[in-house]
Amino acid sequence: MEKDEWVVLGIGNPYLQDDRAGVVVTERLEALGLPCRIEQLLTVGFEVLDKIRGASRAIIVDACKLGNPPGSILQVSVDDIFSSHHLVNSHAVTLGTTLKTGIICFPDEMPKELHIWLIEVKDISEFTQVMSPEVEQAVGEVVEGIQRLLTEQPL
Amino acid sequence: MKKIEINPITRLEGHGKIAIFLDDSGNVDDAFFQTVEFRGYEKFLQGMPIEEVPRTVSTICGVCRGVHFTAAMKAVDQVFGVTPPPAGRKLRELFFNAHYVEDHTVVLYALGFPDFVVGPEASPAERNVVGLINAVGADVGREVLRKRGLAVKIFELLGGKPSHAVSAIPGGWSKNLSEEERKQVEAWSQELVELGELTLKIFDDVVLKNDKYMELVTGDTYKVEVGYMGSVDPQGLGTFYHGTQKVIDSDGKLVGTFEGKEYLDFIAERVKPWTYLKFPYQKKIGPWKGIVEGPGTNIFAVGPLARMNVIEGMSTPIAQKHFEKFHATFGAKPVHHILAYHWARAIEMLSAAEKCLELSRDPEITSNEIWTKPTSCTGEGVGIIEASRGTLIHHYLTDEKGIVTKANLIVSTTHNNGPINLAVKKAARHFIKNGEVSPSILNYVEMSFRPYDLCLACATHTVTGGQSPLEIEIFDKDGKLYKRLKNF
Repeated sequence: MEKDEWVVLGIGNPYLQDDRAGVVVTERLEALGLPCRIEQLLTVGFEVLDKIRGASRAIIVDACKLGNPPGSILQVSVDDIFSSHHLVNSHAVTLGTTLKTGIICFPDEMPKELHIWLIEVKDISEFTQVMSPEVEQAVGEVVEGIQRLLTEQPL
Repeated sequence: MKKIEINPITRLEGHGKIAIFLDDSGNVDDAFFQTVEFRGYEKFLQGMPIEEVPRTVSTICGVCRGVHFTAAMKAVDQVFGVTPPPAGRKLRELFFNAHYVEDHTVVLYALGFPDFVVGPEASPAERNVVGLINAVGADVGREVLRKRGLAVKIFELLGGKPSHAVSAIPGGWSKNLSEEERKQVEAWSQELVELGELTLKIFDDVVLKNDKYMELVTGDTYKVEVGYMGSVDPQGLGTFYHGTQKVIDSDGKLVGTFEGKEYLDFIAERVKPWTYLKFPYQKKIGPWKGIVEGPGTNIFAVGPLARMNVIEGMSTPIAQKHFEKFHATFGAKPVHHILAYHWARAIEMLSAAEKCLELSRDPEITSNEIWTKPTSCTGEGVGIIEASRGTLIHHYLTDEKGIVTKANLIVSTTHNNGPINLAVKKAARHFIKNGEVSPSILNYVEMSFRPYDLCLACATHTVTGGQSPLEIEIFDKDGKLYKRLKNF
């Protein structure tokens, strides 16, 4: 892993309607050939640390279901999404918990700059690769936003 | 009547909840574990070429990706009537055991240990993996996560793709291991063995040497007397990738053994209108007797504790010593104390790491003979493995071209549905008295289902006749419906 690099990590199930938003963002960024390493995951467990440790800057894109209007785009910090929930299963490790764990355990290896983009889902009940119109539009906006970020803040 | 809900959903991985019903005196009248979401993969797979199924089912769950991949590829072998050559099978086993180490590590450190290291009555703000690291120190946390990452590296090196593997092909494995890679895997595996030993030392120091915790672990509150099922090798030792399924009743007596499609002679499933999750039960013991424990019950459990109960020993030397200590501590076999799932899980993590090391030193592991070419299509395959959470069954029917016509997936959390309901009710009745329900008391109730490490995303794949039974029916002890609730 190169130390001086951007990594963009998309999280989601590629087959599950709006849950795939993060993965689609990274697919489109990859097609644009931007100067960044693209990673994808279906979960927010400790695998996230394996993907971003060592990179100087990281962008994480995930779907969320927080009660906002569908297609809302949220830019949040680790503290915003760190949850102190007592877990009921190992699958319930949250993105915030994973990142907080990384910051505590790997302070020198975590990206110095970390952007977290969340897209509010409308529907995650169908197995389809067609997202809802609201989320589709949001995906486009996030791609443009990340493109600007990568262009305006080159390494 | 007052109702308490514990809603476990935190992301999009699957949805379920516990509902506890109190009587007029504030004591627990009844308690249920409910799954109110389904995913329907069994329907989704129909019409798909069977050789595509392993890669597809690995997306059922972002965490359990390797287990569905492995069960499906074993089923695919049968569909095409082929057996992988020894090196192909060994690569699969190495891949699978590495997955075991990474998965068991997360369950123990994120789920099991916080209750003990931080304490069951600690604030939820501290009783989590971050609190655990604060308690044991960042150095230990860093070392655990780093070593776990090595298991992921083995998984990804062999799987051919990050996160979700692609190397399975009918009759073998598409990615061979070079000598250079083998040496790297051997070095990583040595560190995984150290991780297993460290984990058991932490369990020993924190739990086994703490009288209060041992009272919880060996007491009756977290004791659920059911039957068990798990895989054994020809010597009766534990095996994860492939074996014969051994089934025992709640007294430890052998109910029988089976392989492949014979599971249909041993396991039946009961549907309840208040949950998407079915209730498997031991068919050989008799017709459905309800969600009851004790002698005669045909409810059974799977997973690390179940495996400790059905096997004669571990297949690796260091884990075997811990297996002996485990059973010496409890005395009687089978062990029904569900908090022992965590101990069993730690022993299995070490055993899987030892297996990785053993396989990495096998001269045959670098052979290029890793594929048996299929020449026909039998139209049916059953893949059974011991997933980290318990027995996983994938059963497929195909047409003559290998297109899936029917799929049946019975996953670990489904097998454990009955025991989970029993465990929740028992803990709730013990800890909730006279309406006193503090957060710490609720955590003691949650501790009753955490050992099973529910995977609701995995467990809810079955479309039950196209219905959406989002209502709850609660029955009294005589089986009469006394309460119906709609759409939680």
